[in-house]
Amino acid sequence: MSNDTRFKRYLKLDLLPTPWCPGCGNGIALKTICQAFDELELPKQGTVVVSGIGCSGRSAGFFDLDSVHTAHGRAIPVAEGIKYANDTLNVVVVSGDGDLLGIGGNHLLHAIRRNTNITVICYANEIYGMTGGQVSPITPHNTKTLTTPHGNPDYPADVQSLFKHHNCFYARTTAYHLSHMKKCFLEALKFKGFSFVEARTMCIVNYGRRLGYKNSNEMLLHYKEFYKINDYAGELAQDEIGILKTTTVS
Amino acid sequence: MPKKLLQGNEAIAQAAEAAGLQFFAGYPITPASEIIHEMVNKKHIKTMQMEDEIASINAVIGASLAGLKAMTATSGPGFSLMQESIGLAHMMEVPLVIVNVQRVGPSTGMPTLPAQGDVIQCIHGSHGDYFPIVFYPNSVFELFRYTIAAFNAAEESMSPVILLSDGYISHLYETIVPHYDCTITPRSRPALGMGNRHFTGLSHKGSVLKTSDVDNYRQLIASFREKQQMTAQRHNYFEYLECSRETDTLLISYGALSRAAYYFKNDFALYRPIRMFPAVEEIRKIAPRYKRIRMMEMNMGQYVYEIERILHREVEFIPILGGRIDLREIKQILYEQ
Repeated sequence: MSNDTRFKRYLKLDLLPTPWCPGCGNGIALKTICQAFDELELPKQGTVVVSGIGCSGRSAGFFDLDSVHTAHGRAIPVAEGIKYANDTLNVVVVSGDGDLLGIGGNHLLHAIRRNTNITVICYANEIYGMTGGQVSPITPHNTKTLTTPHGNPDYPADVQSLFKHHNCFYARTTAYHLSHMKKCFLEALKFKGFSFVEARTMCIVNYGRRLGYKNSNEMLLHYKEFYKINDYAGELAQDEIGILKTTTVS
Repeated sequence: MPKKLLQGNEAIAQAAEAAGLQFFAGYPITPASEIIHEMVNKKHIKTMQMEDEIASINAVIGASLAGLKAMTATSGPGFSLMQESIGLAHMMEVPLVIVNVQRVGPSTGMPTLPAQGDVIQCIHGSHGDYFPIVFYPNSVFELFRYTIAAFNAAEESMSPVILLSDGYISHLYETIVPHYDCTITPRSRPALGMGNRHFTGLSHKGSVLKTSDVDNYRQLIASFREKQQMTAQRHNYFEYLECSRETDTLLISYGALSRAAYYFKNDFALYRPIRMFPAVEEIRKIAPRYKRIRMMEMNMGQYVYEIERILHREVEFIPILGGRIDLREIKQILYEQ
């Protein structure tokens, strides 16, 4: 196998296609995760993927690794249980913003506090996609969704602020910035302690379409124009992506 | 083995250690907290105080999948929180033990007087059909013995097993020999890290998802039921005391309340289920000897339905509510009604 396709060994190719809609950004993140696994040569018998519920939750089943598809919002405590039980396993959580920040928000808060040595990759599409397109904890202010027909009255959760005073890893990236996304995943996986990557992925069918985007490519181009890379900053502005500076060095 | 003065909750912790417990996660709640207090001092048991009961049960599921014998302990409010993940553990076939030291409900109730209000919740608390094995001892030694049985049953059935207790039994101090001669069932499923298995709450066959295969789903549920029945056969626990005098009445009770029932053993025959679910079938043979069957519970009638379902006959029900077991009150009800 050539180097470009070696990442495929981490996938159950016979299960493809994924259940995701055409134009969904989750596949980009899934591929990039596998590329990061490949680059780090993670052993297939020592790596476990845990996911929650939602579109992103279906990722776990596509990894050719031992994987656990848990209840809604409970991926982090299950992953922590696995890590406490067997410290030698690489434990990676792959789930969405509704799952990790909404229903499972409490667990995230405490995993940060405990600084459990696991990696959490959040497919942040700003919407509850699988259920049709309801407002999520990181949907921007004034955005129309099925449950906020007059625009989201609330402001999105400032996820990075949870990490500020803990020696954990936080990065934000998008499905447009492919090499940056891979860099974030690689650094997160290498980090000794709790690491969290908020990967913005586009949902055209139940989100972008209603906001006036014609196709998911337009959403990608929005990521390109809106977000500037600012790695190792003390704080990321709303229109910045990057790895947050942490006090510990991995 | 020397005798020891042990509290019920301490006996649970010691038995868990004897049964090979390696991981415990829990959240503080009266009257179950002494269990986690005991666990943190045990060298070979990794103990975590999690942020809530939901995290506790999920950490236990993770640890069990990763190869460790695992358990959690809680009371009614925490048990309610755990329900969704108990369903998940049944679907993923994860062996684990959940101790529920019952207190008065609903909600915060009368903190923290004992009750028996979580009996039905044990089998119907989570959505969908699942078939847990449930034990309910009534003394400190029995808590020790049936905690070990719970761990064995969990491994044999590859599913969560519930050990019920209540504020009285768990906070009771009794002198016991903390030893029970039996074989300890080892872990049977290889731990996580094998390479390509998928554990999911979706309907499945092995590692393959079968979310719209009706026949497969029916087989899956039938296999859960069969597993429970097969395991239960090896754990047929009940107590039946025939009356020394002629009597036409069988008095059924369990847990803390059955301790009070012993005072009436000269006037009534006594029956006490220890394996609550699936219900012990022996009651079918015992019941026809008695004209009158009366049942006492510390709730408004939960297990009485199970007894009526098995016997196909009416059972007189006596609720003992509010966490008070008063012999004079019970005597009055039993002899005057």
